[in-house]
Amino acid sequence: MVALPRPAVAQGAVPDRVFTRDTLRGDTVLDADVVIVGSGAGGATLAAELAEAGLDVVMIEEGRYWTTRDFTAQASAMTRQLYRDGGASMAIGDPPVMFQEGRAVGGSTVINGGMSWRTPERILERWRREAGLEHIEAPDMEAHFARVERRIHVRHQDPETVGRDNELLKRGADAKGWKVIPNLRNQVHCAGSNNCAFGCPTGAKQSALVSYVPRALHFGARLLSDVKVERILLHGKRAIGVAGRVVGEGERPGPRVTVRAKLVVAACGAIQTPALLARSGVRSPSGRLGHNLSLHPNVKLVATFDEPVRGWEGVHQAYQVREFEGEGLLFAAVNIPPAVIAMTSHERGAALGALMDAYDRTVIAGMLCEDTATGRVRTINGRPQAFYQLAQFDADKLVRGVALLAELLFAAGARSIITPFAGVPTLRSGDDTRLLYAHPIPRSAMEVVTVHMMGTAAMGADRTRAVTDGHGLVHDAERLMVCDASLFPTPIGVNPMETIMALATRSAAHVLDNLERFS
Amino acid sequence: MSYQHPPAVRRVLESLVPVVCPPEAVALGLTAAIVDHVALTMSAVPPLFRRGLVLGLTTYDLAAMVWPAARGRRAHRLPPELAERWFERWERGLTPVERELTHAVGQLLKFGCYEQPAMLARLGYTPQAWIEQVTRRRLQVYGDDIRRAEAAIVAPDPLRPPVRRPRTEVG
Ligand SMILES: Cc1cc2nc3c(=O)[nH]c(=O)nc-3n(C[C@H](O)[C@H](O)[C@H](O)COP(=O)(O)OP(=O)(O)OC[C@H]3O[C@@H](n4cnc5c(N)ncnc54)[C@H](O)[C@@H]3O)c2cc1C
Ligand code: SF4
Repeated sequence: MVALPRPAVAQGAVPDRVFTRDTLRGDTVLDADVVIVGSGAGGATLAAELAEAGLDVVMIEEGRYWTTRDFTAQASAMTRQLYRDGGASMAIGDPPVMFQEGRAVGGSTVINGGMSWRTPERILERWRREAGLEHIEAPDMEAHFARVERRIHVRHQDPETVGRDNELLKRGADAKGWKVIPNLRNQVHCAGSNNCAFGCPTGAKQSALVSYVPRALHFGARLLSDVKVERILLHGKRAIGVAGRVVGEGERPGPRVTVRAKLVVAACGAIQTPALLARSGVRSPSGRLGHNLSLHPNVKLVATFDEPVRGWEGVHQAYQVREFEGEGLLFAAVNIPPAVIAMTSHERGAALGALMDAYDRTVIAGMLCEDTATGRVRTINGRPQAFYQLAQFDADKLVRGVALLAELLFAAGARSIITPFAGVPTLRSGDDTRLLYAHPIPRSAMEVVTVHMMGTAAMGADRTRAVTDGHGLVHDAERLMVCDASLFPTPIGVNPMETIMALATRSAAHVLDNLERFS
Repeated sequence: MSYQHPPAVRRVLESLVPVVCPPEAVALGLTAAIVDHVALTMSAVPPLFRRGLVLGLTTYDLAAMVWPAARGRRAHRLPPELAERWFERWERGLTPVERELTHAVGQLLKFGCYEQPAMLARLGYTPQAWIEQVTRRRLQVYGDDIRRAEAAIVAPDPLRPPVRRPRTEVG
């Protein structure tokens, strides 16, 4: 085992046991009980639980170690620092779906909205029924959810942090008589700064960066950031470690890093994990590695009001409209900075200027759709490429969702609404929602985005149909585990972070209960 | 990686600022800054996407020469009205390549435009001031609770009885 130089704590930014490209200056070889690739929702949770139990854990993260002080409202700088590929990843299909993944210590939890919901019972029951998973139903999961909620401080917002955009969303839902509930979020007195997507500048959001990662470090785990794992080392079917390179300035590959371990965990997220397994030569007898990609397609409406809204003042998504949950549709107000609104708008030139001049009177409302189609992550030259074809059924659901959400916004007092569908004129009243049904809207006209990618190394009892067993251990491999959103057998219809963390807690318990298999 | 526009690509992008961005952006003299910003964004996108954009913009520029209305000129040399029409032709183009290129380039320019402080000031968008105000208030009102929560992050609560003493040494 090679001793690591002490981190650059003189700069006050990097805690003990975190090693960055500034300290990983030569080739490094380490030994550990467990090596976990990825420090996001799944990886950090597992690391903290196993480290607290006394295992020697090494986390490896490709992204940088940023601190709360680094996070600002500069959309462009933050996007380049915290998002993989500058936030410009695309699933190929009709329409192409733009998706975002975090790439930083803490993973996507650093840039997520903090919504923290348990997996719906109907979904857990479906996983039991369709994937043959055991001990997965709500009573079995109760202790895991409760533990995660304690760790990441899942609470309702302090009332003074609810901004005008969310009040208007609630007003519209109340006027329609629709079910609207306050969001549960992982936060300690969230200040309502509305910067969640660019890192929480107050430290209130309990992302993995400020919860599970420091906990893991406290209990002795080590974290190598700025290190991209290129492959899992295999001896026959047994995983024996990982090999990667330090990501240097300007993405240049730096010194080599090898970690040998008794248990290897891929927790890189649902896009990167199948690629890591595939380029390492891991074969699933199911043939399903990289398949089963679901992504909760999401569209946004831009509604202009007469009154000042100043949507950037107040918490991101204080409420969720749950009236259409049964149809797989959730609505929320999601303020987005001007650059992103402009970028995703179909307008240009003077029309864009007119739209943007109303920015401080704008409510941006978004929708999460539980999808029925599945796509695929292919590994091309070692890099993942997502393919996803929106099902006509889901496209119709998006149109219905937009119509409903537009009705809600008009009921709240909106004067005009721009839809996410190219070619559909600006809606000026509730009656105009008819326009959405006047002609079929081609899928290619839909501006669809997502931040919830799931399912590409799914769990299941049957090794001929699933990539991993019910605890994320890869079928037909030894000492190799997946611990992230890839595990979901189906989409879950709510925000996925808490489910990922609860599954990671459950997997940690499984490892600790079966230590003899991993020693 | 740091990416610089090739001169020909820069010229096309500059010619597209008045087509894609609101007139105020040009009036405020932001064209060069917007195009610089596009380069910054392009430095972060996947290399394949970046190469596609460079190739696409070059094709967009040259293809104008065979468009009768352009009378042999490249896209970046077209007067405003023709520049608008050429872009529109690609926006509605028959091939997905044309449509996707104008979509992507439009997105990059619009993003760069509304990252310019002068454009944000016009909108009255002042998030940093808001962040500072609410950060102070949070610490004043909830300081004790926040400290308690911070302490809880490292408080022992083992999932299973510890199997051995946690590591204490680095390296
Ligand atoms: C903008 C945004 C908003 C969201 N809002 C919410 C929300 O409000 N509520 C919610 O529940 N969910 C939300 N999500 C989704 C949620 O954050 C993710 O589903 C969750 O974080 C995924 O967890 P994960 O462990 O699968 O991967 P991640 O959290 O993405 O972590 C994976 C990590 O692995 C690293 N990695 C990948 N490959 C390698 C490699 N080869 N070597 C080393 N490291 C590697 C990555 O850099 C990354 O840091 C949001 C996501 C985004 C992007
Ligand atoms: S809204 Fe709350 S959680 Fe989000 S960035 Fe601001 S303080 Fe942090």
